Amino acid sequence: MRKKIFSRFSIILFIIGLMMAVQYNTVNEPDSRDTRDVWAIRQELSVEKKRHSELLSEIGQLDNTLDKYEAASEESPEQALKETVEELRSLAGLTETTGPGFEVVIEPSPEAVAFGQTIEGISPDLLIRFLNSINSFNNLEMSIDGNRLVNTSAIRDINGKTTVNTKPVQTPPFTVKIVAGTMEDAEKLSNYLLSSPLLDDFYIDDLAVTVSEIKEDMVIEAYDGKISNQYLKDTGGE
Amino acid sequence: MWLSVLGLLLGISLGLLTDMQIPSEYANYLSIAVLASLDTLFGGIRAHLQHMYDDKVFVSGFFFNIILAAGLAFLGVHLGIDLYLAAIFAFGVRLFQNIAVIRRLLLAKWTNKKETEESLG
Repeated sequence: MRKKIFSRFSIILFIIGLMMAVQYNTVNEPDSRDTRDVWAIRQELSVEKKRHSELLSEIGQLDNTLDKYEAASEESPEQALKETVEELRSLAGLTETTGPGFEVVIEPSPEAVAFGQTIEGISPDLLIRFLNSINSFNNLEMSIDGNRLVNTSAIRDINGKTTVNTKPVQTPPFTVKIVAGTMEDAEKLSNYLLSSPLLDDFYIDDLAVTVSEIKEDMVIEAYDGKISNQYLKDTGGE
Repeated sequence: MWLSVLGLLLGISLGLLTDMQIPSEYANYLSIAVLASLDTLFGGIRAHLQHMYDDKVFVSGFFFNIILAAGLAFLGVHLGIDLYLAAIFAFGVRLFQNIAVIRRLLLAKWTNKKETEESLG
């Protein structure tokens, strides 16, 4: 009899424990709920897809390099390595680049000249805005007033002067040289610049922007500074 | 007695480990069901201590109370009356009463035992 009672109690207690645990699980649900709507999720998906395709193209490139090494390993591995280094140097902006592109001349607006206003240098904010809007086009090489833009280039105000790579940009007029990957891209970018509302932003600062004709062989200076990469680390492995 | 504790631990660990969840709309019903079952459990312990434990009453009371409480809460939701409060109140009061009775019974038992030991010793 006693045993029977305890077995009954055990079964009931088992059910109670189960119910309490389930209740605990339910109440302790993470309270951060997913509140993204379809469009936010689609946007995230598109970002991920873009990343996916970037990674794929990177894999393709690396495969190419590998093929090249394999093909060259018997003949002269040195040559293949040198080529790769040269390629990387050109990607990093350490060599002169030639390609289809155009010049953008930033000069004082005619009105400002006519009124005899003091011509002030371009502000770093405006320059950054300009570059950001251009950078929506991929694969561009640029130099501002002879200073090649590389990945680590900084545009900032140093002692009241706008600088690129810590070298001051002269008071307008100065030129921004842009080289795009293909003739078509260069044309697109030039058309974009001609119709861009950016020109109004320049006009507010008493500056006028002139976009030159597209040249087949626009030359962009090499980056002449030192690229410091003290934070880069070897990932190890291949 | 240890068998019962083992049953409780087994139930809790099974529930936590399987990470079972119910939709949050039903969490109210489950909480009332837990309360009802606790009430029945303590009622059963009390009955056992008072030597009037009945297997049928205990098991039927367990399930009936749970169903009644959940049904009352369900009805309350549909009628717009907080009927689950009635269930919580009833079960809560009974729970405290039962626990108080159990405490007294255990105390009396303990005192009896001590007195017997003293008289024997």
